[in-house]
Amino acid sequence: MAQRAVWLISHEPGTPLCGVVKFSRRYPTVEKRAKVFNGASYVPVPEDGPFLKALLFELRLLDDEKDFLESRDSCSHINKTSIYGLRVGSEELWPVVAFLKNGMIYACVPLVEQTLSPRPPLISISGISQGFELLFGVQDFLSSGQKTDSELNTKLSQLSDLLLQTCPFGTLLDANLHNSLDSINFASVTHLQKQPAWRTGTYKGKPQVSISITEKVNSMQYDKQEIADTWQVVGVVTCKCDLEGSMPNVTISLSLPTNGSPLQDILVHPCVTSLDSAILTSSSIDAMDDSAFSGPYKFPLTPPLESFNLCYYTSQVPVPPILGFYQVKEEEVQLKITVNLKLHESVKNSFEFCEAHIPFYNRGPITHVEYKASFGQLEVFREKSLLVWIIGQKFPKSMEISLSGTVTFGAKNHEKQSFDQICIGGTAYLKLHFRILDYTLTGCYVDQHSVQVFASGKPKISTHRKLISSDYYIWNSKAPAPVTYGSLLLNLSLQDNF
Amino acid sequence: MGPFSRETWAQRLGTFRASPSAFMAGPEGEDLGRDLLSDLRSEKLSEPMKVALLALSLEYPAQLWPDAPAAEAAATSLLDTLVLLPPRPSALRRPLLLAATTALVAGGALSPASGASGRLLPLLLGLASGRDLGRSFGPASEQRPLQATAWECLRELESCRPGLLGGCLGLLRALLGREGPAQPLSLLLALALRNALVIQARAGAGLQGLLTAGDSSMEGGPWNWTLAEEGEVHLQPQAPSWPAAEEGECGLAALELSPEEARELRATVAQLLDSSYLLTPVAQAQLLWLLGWALRGLRGQPPVLFKPQLVRLLGTAQLTLLHAMLALKAAFGEALFTAQDEALLLRRLTLAAQHPALPLPIHLFYLHCLLNFPENWPLGPTDEEAAPLLLGSQLCRGLLPSLLNEPMALLARLHLLCLLCVEDEEKEEKGQDRSPRHYLEELLAGLRQRAALDDGPRALATLCFQASYLVAHCLAGQPVVLTPLTQGLAQLYRTRPALAPHFVDLLDQVGPELQEPLRVALRQEVVSRPGREEALRWHLQMLARVADGDAQSATLSFLRAAATHCKDWGLQQALLRVCRALLRAGVGGGLADLLQALARQLEDPDGQDHARLYYILLAHLAGPKLGVALGPSLAAPALASSLVAENQGFAAALMVQEAPAPVRLSVGPRRAEGPVPVLRLQVEVLEPVYSLELRFRVEGQVYAPLGAVHMPCLCPGRPTRPLLLPLQPRRPAPAKLTVRALYTTPSGLTCHTHLPPLLVTFADLFLPFPRPPEGAQLDFFEELWGSCLPKGTESRLWCPLGPGGLEALVSHHLESFVVVAQPPVSYLVAIRLPPDSRLLLRLEAAQADGVPVALRTDDWAVLPLAGDYLRGLSADG
Repeated sequence: MAQRAVWLISHEPGTPLCGVVKFSRRYPTVEKRAKVFNGASYVPVPEDGPFLKALLFELRLLDDEKDFLESRDSCSHINKTSIYGLRVGSEELWPVVAFLKNGMIYACVPLVEQTLSPRPPLISISGISQGFELLFGVQDFLSSGQKTDSELNTKLSQLSDLLLQTCPFGTLLDANLHNSLDSINFASVTHLQKQPAWRTGTYKGKPQVSISITEKVNSMQYDKQEIADTWQVVGVVTCKCDLEGSMPNVTISLSLPTNGSPLQDILVHPCVTSLDSAILTSSSIDAMDDSAFSGPYKFPLTPPLESFNLCYYTSQVPVPPILGFYQVKEEEVQLKITVNLKLHESVKNSFEFCEAHIPFYNRGPITHVEYKASFGQLEVFREKSLLVWIIGQKFPKSMEISLSGTVTFGAKNHEKQSFDQICIGGTAYLKLHFRILDYTLTGCYVDQHSVQVFASGKPKISTHRKLISSDYYIWNSKAPAPVTYGSLLLNLSLQDNF
Repeated sequence: MGPFSRETWAQRLGTFRASPSAFMAGPEGEDLGRDLLSDLRSEKLSEPMKVALLALSLEYPAQLWPDAPAAEAAATSLLDTLVLLPPRPSALRRPLLLAATTALVAGGALSPASGASGRLLPLLLGLASGRDLGRSFGPASEQRPLQATAWECLRELESCRPGLLGGCLGLLRALLGREGPAQPLSLLLALALRNALVIQARAGAGLQGLLTAGDSSMEGGPWNWTLAEEGEVHLQPQAPSWPAAEEGECGLAALELSPEEARELRATVAQLLDSSYLLTPVAQAQLLWLLGWALRGLRGQPPVLFKPQLVRLLGTAQLTLLHAMLALKAAFGEALFTAQDEALLLRRLTLAAQHPALPLPIHLFYLHCLLNFPENWPLGPTDEEAAPLLLGSQLCRGLLPSLLNEPMALLARLHLLCLLCVEDEEKEEKGQDRSPRHYLEELLAGLRQRAALDDGPRALATLCFQASYLVAHCLAGQPVVLTPLTQGLAQLYRTRPALAPHFVDLLDQVGPELQEPLRVALRQEVVSRPGREEALRWHLQMLARVADGDAQSATLSFLRAAATHCKDWGLQQALLRVCRALLRAGVGGGLADLLQALARQLEDPDGQDHARLYYILLAHLAGPKLGVALGPSLAAPALASSLVAENQGFAAALMVQEAPAPVRLSVGPRRAEGPVPVLRLQVEVLEPVYSLELRFRVEGQVYAPLGAVHMPCLCPGRPTRPLLLPLQPRRPAPAKLTVRALYTTPSGLTCHTHLPPLLVTFADLFLPFPRPPEGAQLDFFEELWGSCLPKGTESRLWCPLGPGGLEALVSHHLESFVVVAQPPVSYLVAIRLPPDSRLLLRLEAAQADGVPVALRTDDWAVLPLAGDYLRGLSADG
């Protein structure tokens, strides 16, 4: 369950080593156990320098991709998880949990409490999930509110102290490092018996509860006979409960209107004390039917002090909010494009913003554009080979808008134009970016009166909702486009129905 | 040396961290540990700096205090520093406790004999249990963090020394019900409980009231090391709860608990689980793993205790919690999870493996868990990845790969798709054109299309080949998949020959099902080219791997055409490598012409030489030998230069190699008969050899030179007849034979080896005289006896006898040489010693403990040998 060592490495391509160890922490008592448990298969944790080199090589983050290297490029060298074996000297250090996020590599080596040859399956090693949780905790701590390099450095300098609290001997006590930061600051708070370990300290002040629902909608639209369009809503409910008492009880209910789309695939925060089995079993894996559970979704819980994600869900709404088609025809040096977008009548026609981004990959810069838009205006980013169609706050009464035009490109410049591995040949997409406030696509909402709080004082309850687009693609219907298995199957079942 | 300044320390710490080994090897290395301890008490250093020093000691105690005495001294010093701190708030108390614990454990100094251990353990227990330690130990505001730290130190000590807190189980249990933080106590209790159960099970004892001892158990008296002493021998690789990892190793079944103990245990576990909600998610997971370990295999402890927690845990997105549930599932199987529970868990896992709210590394790990899911009733072998039975293609729909996936996700999902295709084959589709297999084909085509891009990154090509390998590996038995795959890859080569190294690698890695057709397709692809393009380098590299005896004329004409374009050294070498491959494959006639042409035509002298060499080899060596000569070099390390490697290969194949002995020789029991002494050699065969030739040399030329012995073939395990080696002594004397062996290995190499020398003893030379006619024996002997003098000599000696008496001695050693026998007291013995000596013995008037021996010989030189021999007999018994 313990970790032998933890590293944070910033990935810096272009520098000689391609990376710098920003933080590392070793756990010698765990290492001592590793030596006993692993026996003859024990491989010691290397020093930072060799570790950095081996890790970057394994993650393919060194700059030397030019030649075929068997130890890296061999077809049988397959990694299907973020857990690696690193070649250090003549030995292999395994398992190393590592992933890259926003230019930072998070890595740790979990203790395996048995021999390493033959390698035990990852699922049997308790330290793997603990290692992931530690790394995600650190990542969460570093990325929260961090904007500048100096802020990052401040946080990095706090890390050593924080780990002394939350992971003093390599066994993680709490993945939420913010908790520990708070407990350093409020060390004098007396600890009562029935207080959860994840709720350190108590709140003093006006009681208030804030709940916000954010839905993201993604979509893949093809405008093709043989491929079905797909779309999905992913929701997250975020809460902040400022309540007095060591263990206040709260019940939050999510409700749907009569025509709302049932919530599925619900994952809850561990502070939720019990779950209705209907919530547990409603899943997108099953074929939908009318008997699907449609709420209210009740979550009894003891909230932590800080803001937390009460639950995540997905939902399959009957229609995508914006339906579109996109056609690109290549005519000698220029491309002829046609776009058509239609807002569904059930959707709230009041956007914070709405834009269609039309990128052109693997081509030169845009030299000339001629266009006709039925609505909104077009911005041209020549060097980026990008058109942005700004639609604005509202669709017109007809709910339907269109854009057509021709785009001419200059010579391709390999250094400036980015390479894209999907948009090869005629394959192209446009991506919609929009946001609608005080609205959810599923209809999901929190009724203020349904929030039950068992704590002293009547809290002020505020609720928020918004819908955001995310990965909302409309593919060129005149060329092949990447599909998922689902869009092929869905189409089949549709054909069966008609 | 006096205290260092803040700056000096900052610099020292920086240098140390950059490379601890380099620092420790440097001049300051030796003093670092000592300086650190003394400066912790210096008043000049600030607290943050001291914390930094302690942080270093937490990470590198083994470097600072490398042995147990040093670690003990360091821990003592750290404890002293702790006690001497003034009673105001200080940031040093917690790290000092951690550092002392770390030093003791890492230095291996934790033991009943260690003074520091004796001080640290009661201190930690006192702090943890909230007992009043007096005002000297820090201000009240620090009590809670110190308490938490003390719990953690105790837990770490128990982890590293199982059983250490076995004596405190009663106390811990009593504390659990009272005020105080639940988490550290729960975790420590669960750990100590698990360890105690394991240790007691191994010792065949019960819990012996450990749980019910109450909180007075540890007060006052010295620390109870009983359980830890027993546990120490057992901190061995112990398999966790995973059944596959632990066949028959589960020791807890041996634990006999009394009904009362069982009840207490159940109550404790229930209490721990009831308050588990108060723990952080990661700690809850640890608790579940520990309790799962503790109860697994324990008789009379039904796992239903866990059940109330499961629904709550199933709903969360927490990786650690779901992982711990899988551990419980693996540990208890159907006893805890009914078929419906199993199905629900599987569905939750499936949706977690694709839930858009979770990050990619988590998806990948869940996918791994799916393919290794601990099923109640697995169908196949448990150590292989497989899709669980309940996971139909309907459930997997969202988990299938798409070109939009990250490479790792794509490969993981592709693996699942392959597994589905395997199943699908059994229930072959009903004419659907969208079966998983078709989807697989389209996906592979998409990957190839991306790999074919000229400016694409290498990672894209690698991904395509990894996917092809995975598919070939999983679906090796499905020609419907492999045929389009082969065609697609051949087409990819046509589009982008620069991927040749990837193709060569793929051919080396995949099984024959794909390897053979792909090799043929690629050869076709190459030799149908005009042989003069830019990509010639790649074509030649490819051809060197795929060329064989088939399609000779096309291959040779491609090479002839290519030869005119091979202007630089690199290309010429590549061309010659293909020739070499053809040589190995046994291509004859046309190749000889090509090589001769190359020897004339190539501009580079090195190339010419090689062409000539190959031609000579082709003309002079028989097929199998040629194959070995050109095969991969056995002379080990692959050097960068192909020439060196190649020359080593030749050297290995064409020269005689020194090698370890493939056979073992020993002298077997001899038979004294015939005109000359014959050694019977026993042959033990260690590895198969052919055409073995054994050569013997007699040291000191005591015997005439020995002829070599030939054996056509020897195999280990097959019985061999003894080798007969006739000796022609020049003098009747023992000698040493040196032995050399020359032989051919199954791979065609000729080897040479020295075997250990063989010793020919004096007795090995004994031969009997021709048997005299019945009744004339005594006269015959007396005549020999008389004839020895005056040329020879006579001697007498006392030969002690063993319990068998004279009769046994004679029958063991001299049977064949007895001329006249009057058992059990008198024997007359005549021995012929080639070339022309004799040795006569009179063993008469034997007594209980010995026999007087009169001996005569006609050869003075034999006398000492005979004396040694006779004395040796009695020593043998």
